[in-house]
Amino acid sequence: MTVTPDDDFAAAEYALGTLDPSERAVMAARRLREPDLDEAIRAWEARLAPLAEAAGPIEPPRDLLPAIEARIRSATPEAPGNAAVASLRRSVTRWRAAAIAASIIAGVLAVGFITRETTREAVPHEYVAVLQKDAASPAFAITVNLDTREFTVRPVAATAPPGKAYELWLIDPKIGAPRSLGVIAADSATRRANLTQYDRAVVEDATYAVTVEPPGGSPTGQPSGAPVFVGKLIPVGP
Amino acid sequence: MTIRGEAPGRGSPAQATDSLADLLGRIAARDAAAFSALYKATSAKLYGVVARILPRGDAAADALQEAYVRIWEKAGEFDPAKGSPLAWMATIARNRALDEVRRVRPGSLEDLPESFEPAADEVDPLAARERSEGLVKLLNCLQALDEEKRAVVLLAYYRGLSREALALRFGRPVPTIKTWLHRSLAQLRDCLAS
Repeated sequence: MTVTPDDDFAAAEYALGTLDPSERAVMAARRLREPDLDEAIRAWEARLAPLAEAAGPIEPPRDLLPAIEARIRSATPEAPGNAAVASLRRSVTRWRAAAIAASIIAGVLAVGFITRETTREAVPHEYVAVLQKDAASPAFAITVNLDTREFTVRPVAATAPPGKAYELWLIDPKIGAPRSLGVIAADSATRRANLTQYDRAVVEDATYAVTVEPPGGSPTGQPSGAPVFVGKLIPVGP
Repeated sequence: MTIRGEAPGRGSPAQATDSLADLLGRIAARDAAAFSALYKATSAKLYGVVARILPRGDAAADALQEAYVRIWEKAGEFDPAKGSPLAWMATIARNRALDEVRRVRPGSLEDLPESFEPAADEVDPLAARERSEGLVKLLNCLQALDEEKRAVVLLAYYRGLSREALALRFGRPVPTIKTWLHRSLAQLRDCLAS
């Protein structure tokens, strides 16, 4: 096991369920990006799981199965949005290629790429992240300019659940609890400069997470639940 | 078994003998009839897990629904080498329930359940009649804990109690509960590894 003792305790408490809401949201975001931590959580879940056998059965409401079956039918692969996902997958490949190109050929290609694809103006220190649930379902792409601390989030295959909004969060151990970067649109690009209050190291290392919130955003200033999409920045600029 | 997306088969005689692991394998291949059979075989068990954590019936039903959608999506990831099918499903269901109970809510911290369902009584795993090998080993390790510390772990597991709720219940400060949890969990880990 390669996680620190503190992380292993956090993994244990995550599995047991005793973390408070913001700690839980942080762990839920981190496990998607940190395989060792995810493994530690799974190990704890496996240690505790036999206890579930001893929980006596309770009959669930009768009408539940048809509702679940309707949902899984609508969620099977032919669901709409696949074309957008495929298109984003290609974009991700292009971004990766752009990142590599940037490091190899002094950014010429990458700057050209950014100019065309993301911001229309060649700016240095540009970072991108794809916010996704898993490798197969990217939802938002975020670009961050580390000099101006300005960011732009673009929906790729995201549709907010009816009556709900997406809210973007900055999550990093250096700043404690998750910080809101505001509600983001699911149908158009959102551009803001509210990363100015954070250190460059925070902006660069943080996990960017999206949660589902009531319209207008979380009423408490903290994520209402586990993130639905997360990602970390990779450099594209010179 | 053929794949029938439109009308999930009801009670085909073969299903009764299908093991849960077989059903999960077929669900991974998008077999809707296998999903229906799995639901019938396991939903009361999983509801027993989520309803103790979410005493309000609507929240528990939502969590159960989310859990089964996830089981449908992730069936291909089930690995029999890492535990029983039921343990795998219960972990998914319990995580759904915990995500819900640990949502930050505006207003009152404790939205106290109006109906504290008697069905959700305390679980005493030490009294369980049927015990898998995994449960026997875990219970042996749990029995090595002090009674109070064991109760803390079990209440957190079965009722989804937060550190704050546990602190109230045991009349101790939250940091003490946290220390207890860490010591107990470390002790369990070492005991299970031995």
